[in-house]
Amino acid sequence: MTTGLLMPAPLGPTVFIVDDDEPVRKAVSRLLRSAGIAVAVFASPREFLAQYDPASPGCLVLDITMPEVDGLQLQATLGEKGSILPIIFLTGHGDVSKSVQAMKRGAFDFLSKPVKDKDLLTAVRAAIERNAVARLDQAKLSEIRARLDTLTPREREVLEQVVSGKLNKQIAGDLGITEATVKMHRAHVMEKMKVQSVAELARLTERCGTRGNSE
Amino acid sequence: MSWITIVWSINVGACLTLAVMYLAVWCRERESFVRLLFSCIAASAALIAAYELQLIRADTPEEYGAILRWRPLSTWVLVLSLVAFTRLYLRAGRSWMALSACGLQTLIVIVNFVFTPNLYYQGITAVRQLPWGGETASIPLGTPSPWSLLNEATLLLLLVFFVDATITVWRRGDRERALIVGGTTTFFGAIVAAQFLLVILGIIQAPFFASFAYLGIVVALGYQLCNDAIRAADLASELQVGEERFRRVVEAAPSAMIMVNHEGQITLANLQAEKTFGYSREELLGRPIEMLVPERLRSGYRDFRHDYFCHPQARSMGAERELFGLRKDGSEVSVEIGLSPIQSSNGPLVLASIVDITERKLAELEAARQRHDLAHLARVSTVGEFSSSLAHELTHPITAILSNAQAAQRFLAHDDVDLDEVRDILNDIVTQDLRAGEVIHGLRLLLKKGGPQAYCDDVDLNEVIRDVVKLMRNDLINRNVTVDTDLAQNLPAVTGDHVQLQQVLLNLMLNGCDAMADCDSSERRLLIASQLENGAVRLSITDRGGGIPEKNMEQVFERFFTTKKEGMGLGLSVCHTIIDAHRGKIWATNNAGRGATFHFRVPIVGVGKRQ
Repeated sequence: MTTGLLMPAPLGPTVFIVDDDEPVRKAVSRLLRSAGIAVAVFASPREFLAQYDPASPGCLVLDITMPEVDGLQLQATLGEKGSILPIIFLTGHGDVSKSVQAMKRGAFDFLSKPVKDKDLLTAVRAAIERNAVARLDQAKLSEIRARLDTLTPREREVLEQVVSGKLNKQIAGDLGITEATVKMHRAHVMEKMKVQSVAELARLTERCGTRGNSE
Repeated sequence: MSWITIVWSINVGACLTLAVMYLAVWCRERESFVRLLFSCIAASAALIAAYELQLIRADTPEEYGAILRWRPLSTWVLVLSLVAFTRLYLRAGRSWMALSACGLQTLIVIVNFVFTPNLYYQGITAVRQLPWGGETASIPLGTPSPWSLLNEATLLLLLVFFVDATITVWRRGDRERALIVGGTTTFFGAIVAAQFLLVILGIIQAPFFASFAYLGIVVALGYQLCNDAIRAADLASELQVGEERFRRVVEAAPSAMIMVNHEGQITLANLQAEKTFGYSREELLGRPIEMLVPERLRSGYRDFRHDYFCHPQARSMGAERELFGLRKDGSEVSVEIGLSPIQSSNGPLVLASIVDITERKLAELEAARQRHDLAHLARVSTVGEFSSSLAHELTHPITAILSNAQAAQRFLAHDDVDLDEVRDILNDIVTQDLRAGEVIHGLRLLLKKGGPQAYCDDVDLNEVIRDVVKLMRNDLINRNVTVDTDLAQNLPAVTGDHVQLQQVLLNLMLNGCDAMADCDSSERRLLIASQLENGAVRLSITDRGGGIPEKNMEQVFERFFTTKKEGMGLGLSVCHTIIDAHRGKIWATNNAGRGATFHFRVPIVGVGKRQ
């Protein structure tokens, strides 16, 4: 069995399996396929990294003990790359210390070998779900960021003052402009950010994690 | 009565007594011809003395001549007997001289009866009454016959024969016999010869008294024979004492002693033999030795016994083969047998010293069992050291099996069952199950306690290497150690215990891994090489660790020597014990670069094995 993308489903979620033991790899992928889940298998972290597209949705089922580069190292590498792919570790007996390490680094789940189909499928589905949500979040975030990017510096200043709860008069005073000008900027911001209320605006900017100084 | 009559009669009596005595002795022991010959010598000497007395008392020349005529006949008996005696008793004297002297003597007898009155005189004219020692003795007057020279010549030849024989015996070192038998015979023979010549030629006026010279010879020979008898008696009693001592030594011997004659019959058995085999002595003596040999070994034993009597020499029996004896109760006893050939008057005998080695064998077995226990203990502890890795080794196939099986269940639940897929899955399940089975089998072998009778498998050391590398696969991954192998092709098998050799390699590899624990992971490489050298296979395990400090080089194989915190110091000492039991060798060297290499060699099949 060759490794790589088995089921070309660029739009649907794919479960990436990385395990150095070929029979295990093959059996786990079969189990997932039997549940109608698309899988891609890789014999080593190196091979996975060479083919991995961060844009593809799904989750990673990762063997923790492998020669050369092991599961923990792959997790670290993916973390550095800012990957949001949830990682389900498959661990053998006696990998406690490695498991703890992986947990600290934010692993999605741990399943010990031999793994029951229900456990694996539940975990995989949850991970895919989480990934989907995360991806959605990420998409929204980039949308908000894109909207923010359309604001002029003055509009941004006004935005920050507005979400911090100041009145138009106070803003006009702080920025040294007329209240009418503030109102105009404020209308522009609401329009560009596609919001109806100040409360909505505040929620969006908060989600973005910016108070104006992060950009 | 005249003293002449008395003296000559005593002479006759003495000679006759000796003759009769020795004849009687000879009758009891017919083989001893020396005694018969002596008897003849003494009898003829008595006759000669009797003739001499007759001659002294003869009144007429006719009477004198007639008596003298009979004399050579007795001399003939005497000479022939004496010559035969010399040849037989002294085992000396040239045969041509002996034959010539006897021939001449026979000729004398014939010539003597052809001429009248006899050989010595052409004619006796008168008998003169010579006053002799206060009495009168008849002496002949007449012309000596030239034939009497024949007599003298014969006497001379005899003298030469005796002298020659005496010298031979003297040179042989038997001086007593040379002096007593050869010397006296020569001495008295010379007297006889001289006296004859002088009397017949009329040079001295005296009767014949040669019988006293003969008496001298008879006494000397009789003395010597008597001496021999005494010595023989001494020897016999000494022999008896010696034999008694021999019997006592044999009796007291701590091992069973059994003497066997040429026919294989038991002629002697000691107390220990009774104890060892459970038979009483009466049941053993005279019976064939085969009764003590187990049925299955008897035919081989018979051949051996035959060969042994053909080439007897002191040696042990069986040449390292195991020997067994058969007890009365039918049980077998493990024995070691030493054989010594003994020459006796009853033909060749063999004294077998039989040691019951049952207890020694038990002790050996016990030692082997303890060695195995220790090896087993160490093996279990070694396996324990990397049991998690072994569990991993099982986890893989079990994981694959479970996932495959559950995948199959799901596939089968689908409406359109992909039978090819299910078939593939089932094949994989079988394969993985076998794989798990192999792991378990290997583990079970390692944990199994071998019997002490092991060490006799044909072991392929390359296979041992492959097995151990497979067994350690996970551990090696965990330790980040890469194993390279350099295996000789067509390696002959070695004689030994597969599992124990696995254990040795396992220990040495774990050791190598431990030595590299502090190395950079790219440096953690273990090289395992096999090669054939001088009738043995040698394995080398090379690591890139810190090496062995020179001061520890001698101690590394000692029990309880360890440099590791958790180590018991058993691993290498057990390796040493195991390799020793394989008649092999184990040693360590430091590499030229870094790290150390452990080597061990085990003889290949057929080399260094008990023959």
